[in-house]
Amino acid sequence: MNSPLSDETIRQQVYDIIAKEAHVEAPALRPDATLKDLGVGSLEAIELIFDLEEHFDITFPESQASFDTDTVQNLLDAIRSALDEKSGGAEAAA
Amino acid sequence: MNGSVRRVAITGMGAVSAFGEGAHVLWQGLRSGASAIRPLRHERAADVRVRVAAQVPESFDPTAHFDERTLPLLDRTAQFALLAAREAVAQSGMAWDSDAAKRRAAVVIGTGVGGENTQNEQARRLYADNATRLNPLTIVRVMPNAPASQVSIAYGLRGPAFGVVSACASSNHAIAQAALLIRAGLADVAIAGGTEACFTYGALRAWEAMRVLADDTCRPFSANRRGLVLGEGAGVFVLEAMEHAQARGAVLLAELAGLGMSADAGDIVAPDPAGAAAAMAQALDDAGLAPGDVDYVNAHGTGTLANDPGETRAIRQVFGPHADRLAVSSTKSMHGHALGASGALELVGVLGALREGVVPPTANFTTPDPACDLDYVPNTAREMPVRAALSNSFAFGGLNAVLALKRA
Repeated sequence: MNSPLSDETIRQQVYDIIAKEAHVEAPALRPDATLKDLGVGSLEAIELIFDLEEHFDITFPESQASFDTDTVQNLLDAIRSALDEKSGGAEAAA
Repeated sequence: MNGSVRRVAITGMGAVSAFGEGAHVLWQGLRSGASAIRPLRHERAADVRVRVAAQVPESFDPTAHFDERTLPLLDRTAQFALLAAREAVAQSGMAWDSDAAKRRAAVVIGTGVGGENTQNEQARRLYADNATRLNPLTIVRVMPNAPASQVSIAYGLRGPAFGVVSACASSNHAIAQAALLIRAGLADVAIAGGTEACFTYGALRAWEAMRVLADDTCRPFSANRRGLVLGEGAGVFVLEAMEHAQARGAVLLAELAGLGMSADAGDIVAPDPAGAAAAMAQALDDAGLAPGDVDYVNAHGTGTLANDPGETRAIRQVFGPHADRLAVSSTKSMHGHALGASGALELVGVLGALREGVVPPTANFTTPDPACDLDYVPNTAREMPVRAALSNSFAFGGLNAVLALKRA
C-alpha cells in the first residue's frame, strides 16, 4: 500500500462491502447500526469479516464476535487498528 | 414403540480417541474428568490461529496394527475405524463362521469429511509440488464409504454396508441406520459407528475462518466458553437383534431403545432448538420412555455461544419439570469435537454411565451462565443410578440425530 488510507476512505469502502453483504444501499448505513439491525445473520457476518480481511489484507483477532451488538463503528475501529498495526509492523516493506 | 418391532442390543464397543486406543481408556478418561485437550500438534501449528486440539496421541502407530499390504489402502480415518471395530467385535464375541451369518451382518460407518489426510496430501503434491502423477490409491482412500468398506472386507460381511454423512451427527445417524436395518429384518448384526481424522492444514484454515474455535479449551455451558475444540478418533459398536444376542449368550452393554432424527430446515449453521427438541422427543417416544424415566442426557454441548443455550432450551421443552432432575453433561470438554466420530465417542460415555452408574462430567466448567440453567455435572463425575439416557448430536446443516439407551 502506497499511503495510509484516510478514515473517510476506509469508511466508504467498508460501507460498500457491508451494503453488498446486507443488501442495503450504502447511504442508508449509519455507524451506530448493529449488524443485527442490518439483517446480517451470523454466517453472513463471518463472510463479511472475511471480505473485509481480504479487501484490506488484514487479520482480525480470533474471537467470537457478538453479531447482535457489534456496530458498523466497531468494525471501522477494528479495521483502523489492524491497518495501523500492519503499517507500524511492516513499514519498510510497505 | 410397536411391540412387534425387534429390539436392538449393543454387545461390543471399541474406540480410538485423544485418550488413546481403546474404549476402556476413553471411558476411564471421561470418568476421571480429565480433559485430553492439548496444544495443537501439527507441522503448521506456528502458522495457524488454532491453538488447542484433542488429537489421537503420537504413540498411535499404524504399522503396529496393519500389514504392509493393507496399510497403503487406508487413510487415517479408516485406520481408526478398523481398530475400533476390532475391539468391538472382540468384546462382542461375534464370529461369523458361515456364509449365511456373513450375509446377515451389516456395516454402517459415519464420517464428516472422509479421507481428509489423503485428500490434503495429494492436493499438495498436485498444486504445491506440481506433481503430475498422484498415488493410484488416492480414490480408494479418500472415498467416505472407505471405512465401512474396509470393515466389511476385514470380516467378510456381505450384508448391507455403506457410509453415512451428516457432519457432526454422522455417528448417530449411522448407528440409527444400523438399528433400523436390524429392526426391519435386513440384518441380525451390524457393526456401526463413526470415524474422523481431520487435522490437515486445509481443514484447520477452514475451521479458523468460521471463527467458532476456542483458543483456550472447550468449556461447554460455562459462561466463559469460547467455542469448540476439534478432535479426532473413532467409535464403533456391535449392534444385534436382542433375540440373536440372547440366543448366543452375549453380554449386553445396553439396549438401543429409540432413535430420533430431524432437520431444522432453516439456517445452514445456526442451530434451531425446535429441531433438536423434535429429535429428542421422537427418540423418547420411539423408545417408549417417558421424560421421567431418563436420568442422563449426553449433550451435543459444543461449547459455542450458539449451541449451548439453544440445547438447554430444547431439553427444557422436551423434559418439562423433569429437566431439573436430569444430569446433563458434554464430554466434548474432554475428547473434543471429533465431528463425524463425536456421537460414537459419546456413546462410549453413555454406555459407561448406564453400566457403572457413574455420569461423566462436563470438564473445564468454571462459571454458570444464566442462559444455561441445567445440572451440567461440572468437573467431577457423579455416582448415580442411570436407568435410561439420551445422546444428542446436532450437525451443521441443521441435521439432528438422538439415540435413546436403556440399561440392559
